[in-house]
Amino acid sequence: MAPATPRTKGNKAKATITAKSSTTAFSTSSSSSSPAIDHGASRFSSSSSTITTSTTTITNSSFYNTTATAGKAPKLNLSVFRYSNWLEENQLKKTAPWIAVAVAILIRFIVGLGPYSGYATPPRFGDYEAQRHWMELTIHRPIKEWYSDKSKWWDLDYPPLTAYVSWICGFIGDKLNPEWFAWETSRGFESPDAKIYMRATVLILEVIVYMSSIIVFTNLWFANKPWTRKHAALILILMQPGLILIDSGHFQYNAVMLGLVAWAVNCFLADQDVLGSVFFCLALAFKQMGLYFAPAVFAYLLGKSFRQGFFGCIWKLIKLGTTVILTLGLMFYPWMQSQEEILQVVHRIFPVFRGLYQDKVANVWCAVNVAIKLREMFDIQELVRFSTLATLLSFLPSVLHLIAKPTKKGLIYGLINSSLSFFLLSFQVHEKSILIPMLPITLLILDEPAVASLFVTLATFTMFPLLKQELLLLQYFVVLGFWIWLTKGTFSTASKLLQFLSVVNLLVITSLHVAEFTISPPARYPDIYAVANALWGAGGFTLFWAYFNYRQFTFVNTPGTGFRVTKSTKLA
Amino acid sequence: MGNRPLQKIINWSLMLNPGLLMVDNMHFQYNGFLYGIMIHSLVDAKQGKLLRSGILFAALLNFKHIYLYIAPSYFAFLLRAYCFENSGNSIRARSWISAFRPLRFITLGVSVIAVFAASLGPFIVMNQLPQLASRLFPFKRGLCHSYWAANFWALYSFADRVMIVLVSKTPIGQYFNLSLDTAALEATTRGLVGNTAFGVLPTVTAQHTLILTVLLQIPSLISVFRKPTFDRFIGSVALSAFASFLAGWHVHEKAILLCTVTMSVAIANLVGASPNSGSGAGAFSEQKNGAGLLTPRDVRSFMIVSLAGYIGLWPLFFTREETPIKVLITLIWFVVVGSGLDQCIPKQPKGPSVEAGPSSAKSMLRYYTTLERLYVFGCVPVQLYVNLIHEAIFGQEKLAFLPLMITSVYAAVGVVYGWLLYSAAYFSSNKALDKKKTR
Repeated sequence: MAPATPRTKGNKAKATITAKSSTTAFSTSSSSSSPAIDHGASRFSSSSSTITTSTTTITNSSFYNTTATAGKAPKLNLSVFRYSNWLEENQLKKTAPWIAVAVAILIRFIVGLGPYSGYATPPRFGDYEAQRHWMELTIHRPIKEWYSDKSKWWDLDYPPLTAYVSWICGFIGDKLNPEWFAWETSRGFESPDAKIYMRATVLILEVIVYMSSIIVFTNLWFANKPWTRKHAALILILMQPGLILIDSGHFQYNAVMLGLVAWAVNCFLADQDVLGSVFFCLALAFKQMGLYFAPAVFAYLLGKSFRQGFFGCIWKLIKLGTTVILTLGLMFYPWMQSQEEILQVVHRIFPVFRGLYQDKVANVWCAVNVAIKLREMFDIQELVRFSTLATLLSFLPSVLHLIAKPTKKGLIYGLINSSLSFFLLSFQVHEKSILIPMLPITLLILDEPAVASLFVTLATFTMFPLLKQELLLLQYFVVLGFWIWLTKGTFSTASKLLQFLSVVNLLVITSLHVAEFTISPPARYPDIYAVANALWGAGGFTLFWAYFNYRQFTFVNTPGTGFRVTKSTKLA
Repeated sequence: MGNRPLQKIINWSLMLNPGLLMVDNMHFQYNGFLYGIMIHSLVDAKQGKLLRSGILFAALLNFKHIYLYIAPSYFAFLLRAYCFENSGNSIRARSWISAFRPLRFITLGVSVIAVFAASLGPFIVMNQLPQLASRLFPFKRGLCHSYWAANFWALYSFADRVMIVLVSKTPIGQYFNLSLDTAALEATTRGLVGNTAFGVLPTVTAQHTLILTVLLQIPSLISVFRKPTFDRFIGSVALSAFASFLAGWHVHEKAILLCTVTMSVAIANLVGASPNSGSGAGAFSEQKNGAGLLTPRDVRSFMIVSLAGYIGLWPLFFTREETPIKVLITLIWFVVVGSGLDQCIPKQPKGPSVEAGPSSAKSMLRYYTTLERLYVFGCVPVQLYVNLIHEAIFGQEKLAFLPLMITSVYAAVGVVYGWLLYSAAYFSSNKALDKKKTR
């Protein structure tokens, strides 16, 4: 990699001439530009032809950088790279993923020592009690009654796969200690052992589904890149603070849904579209919030089908359609006997009666509501219709683009755009739902380093009111601080504007935190800090939505990500 | 290779030391800053600032008297290196007196006494010294701490337990004329702090342990006194710590930290001396007389002692919440530091012991013998039994001492083995150097 830079500098004049003559040839094949490269490369190696083929993309990107920023290629200097280099030098490639996973588990477990949602807060407790109750419900009631149970305690409002997983967890837990999941008597049951068991189920499912999918993803996504990048990406994705805090702190099973989506993405990357749609349906059957990704997945598969000729397209659509129907049918099979039952399930899963949004959430509706009281002006039916239309409009450009150009990189951007649209504009959004767009953005951590780092920081910040309420302050500050430290090297690769925004973001976050702990809110506005948090988040996420839409439409024409890995010295 | 990765590994090894993490941040003690003072003192010794090293160590002793374990080495080293003219060679018997520097001796003595006076003065004035001493040196407590630290006496007590079973359940006792002390059967392992009594084997008194400790320390002290190089000094510090830990009276399991931390510094010293350590600067690289290299034996002994010692600490953390944490930090440390050190062993060791394993050349355990590998992997089933299976079979109350005993004995085997290996490495490297010198 090192030879690339001096070579391009030395032959800058030649390179520009070649580029003027045919830019497309330069970017796709090395044949037209090989004289210029050979001339320089012969100084470094006798077998110049092999070097030519392997470094084409690098030359390409560094060429653009030399013209754009006068030879100053931004250098991504992350501490994870240095660590990965060290691992590579010590031939630890085989063990390294295990170390990363072990550290990730350790951190999650330590976060899990803290309280959970609804810890010791009767009468209703919180998400922890909901999950525990579903385990109780599923092991003690017949399957037909899971969605129609009238016990007026946390109703099962997640799709069937969650119920099945709850049944397995409840079954094993019941064998360990029947008291934890006893019917009716265990409502609100809390004990240290039960907590460890529940935390362990989250962690084990996360390792099996989510962490494995990330390992595979980094191997597929960085297939032709140095090993250090794969491993650095793995570490960064596993240390993403939002998921750690919500799953291991607040207590939820988001990692299962996100992991299934990541597995679907892995399959799409490997061109296993049928298997990918199975995984995606499983994700939907685990948590209905997976629908945030559905437009992008649908558009990608549709666009891919269109490119296979008339009959090929029909055949592919039949295959995919059958897969989806079969997978979802299998999941919902126990309730398919009568229309009444299936409607009851659907009614539970999509509770439109709950309102436009819950608490304070950093989306458009909540932000607009500060000025205009939407909920008083319109009735709920109108709001549902209106927000659905707005969501549809906001993901439409990205979806249309994806149908027209179903590339793999485009898929990731499409996932980001459609899930961000849903988060910002759809009906009934939780603040935790920001985890959903956070997944594909985190996957791009080395492709859009500064943006992804900024987004994750902001998104974790928007969950602060929730975490504060649950006394997870220490965990929040430590895990978020660790993330900022891990990704601080991305700062230098960013454009001036982005650097400015990152600094402003950190300043606002810090000052809001300091203010919240030192100045008590005025009596008229007791929620002022939560509202400020939501407004700042909503503004930021809207900008990100615009940015990622822009990127989706332009990344095809822009060169590679334009930074070098610091390993260049070693190769020289 | 080179110096930089190595310094990193030793930094990691010390800073992420699972023993320190567990004892200070889970169990709650203040070892971290004390070990900081100790390492400052050792670095001063390495750089030749002997007076400052001695004063720091005296201060350290007044913080925590556990550092008496390594005081003999300090005494021998400072006396020989600071109070005698150091020509680099052994001094002949005749010239001992001429080499003595009384002024330095007095300076050192006065400084150390001043430190002690500042610390103990108020108590002497108030006539509290005997009371203080009885608190500091509780010889009334038993030979073994509440559960057995992984030392000789753990093995001894275990042997005694086995003998008790043999004598009471089988007719062996009659053949060998062994009698059973019934009073002892109730004590020892119940987690009580009190006098340890043995059922079959002879009772061990405080004097016995003291004599044994001194006997174990003397060889390394002699080697330091004959030739006071830093290499010998740091090795003998580790060996003194071992001797006290293994044979001392009422040793805490936490004292293993003293052995592993001093060993870390000793290993760092060896690695710093490595000939292919390039340009690296820093305290551990300016080696003058081409001292020993890092041998597989050093690494093996260090890793086995550390693993055994830290597993010996595990019973301190008995709640279910702590179990995954203690297991994970020890495991991560072992893999990262073990494989890092493995890569720091010079590719063709010039030492007498070239024991590269034939198979699995990439594995970090390639230098280990089969028995050592068995020991390392054996930890897994043993700890699975101790932490999970035992409770599943017997419940929490029944046979509660059994997991503790298994952990202690298993750890003791590892620590004793690692100590023997390290002693062998220490003395053989000294010998090799002497030979090189004479040629």
